[in-house]
Amino acid sequence: MSFADIPRSVLGTEYDSMSYPAVTAAELIEYARSLGVTDPIYLDEQAAKQGPHGGLVAFPTYVVKLRGGKMLPPEVAKEMSRDGFDAGKDIEFHAPIRPGDTLTASSTIREIYEKTGRSGSMYFVVFRTQIRNQRDEVVANVDSRLMQRGRKPQEQAR
Amino acid sequence: MSPSAARAFEALEPGDEFPVVTIALDKGFVRNHACAIDMNFGRFTDDEAARGEGLPGQITPGNMTLALLARCLVEWLPGARLTRLGTTFRGLALTGATVKVIGTITEKDEAGRSVECDVWMENPEGDRWVIGTATLSFRP
Repeated sequence: MSFADIPRSVLGTEYDSMSYPAVTAAELIEYARSLGVTDPIYLDEQAAKQGPHGGLVAFPTYVVKLRGGKMLPPEVAKEMSRDGFDAGKDIEFHAPIRPGDTLTASSTIREIYEKTGRSGSMYFVVFRTQIRNQRDEVVANVDSRLMQRGRKPQEQAR
Repeated sequence: MSPSAARAFEALEPGDEFPVVTIALDKGFVRNHACAIDMNFGRFTDDEAARGEGLPGQITPGNMTLALLARCLVEWLPGARLTRLGTTFRGLALTGATVKVIGTITEKDEAGRSVECDVWMENPEGDRWVIGTATLSFRP
């Protein structure tokens, strides 16, 4: 079996769902501070009350921390080798995250495709992690692209 | 374009360039953020561990480089809301480097009160380690 043989039935099927404990102000502040953010709406609960959200919110990219429990379904994961890597992310930001929110991350495979370049075949897997809050509002859609170089013929024969 | 001018949606035009931001990817800075996002894996926290994985040294998580692009975008356009960010990781973002984050406005939607931007992170040699596009929305 090779990467190209992954059954397309995996597309669109939810393979992971993980709920997180209530978000705390401290972890939102830690995230923003560790990134060098200076805007008080992400750092200071009192100052943030005067801001556009009426209170502290997560810096938008906090959502990348919520990666769920299983990055890929088993039939895809077993075809990924150590030379696979994170090729990029596309994120849509929706409802803001506030302290006290309880978030759930659910994952589906969006796309599996092949590209051929000068260095040979490359396979891409795009999985979406959708994050919702306790009101079932979408907080973010995070589409992650994993790239895997195609195996050489002698490797496939093994 | 000065940061203060960036506050007014009406003043923005396609082709506007944002002030270049310089960021030192210090090892401690990267390590602390990697821990904050629960990615305290050796490659992101320690040179030796990274070399053990065949890497040239400690690297910056992609999740951190994209977040640094986001940080620059919201600093360039205070008051705007980041609604979309798409990124491609093109190279290993090695720690110890001082990188530049560069951005421009590529489109403006007057009716929707939003702008599209190109944004990228480049190393001192001018190699673009991360490239991206983003949408930022403004309140009426």
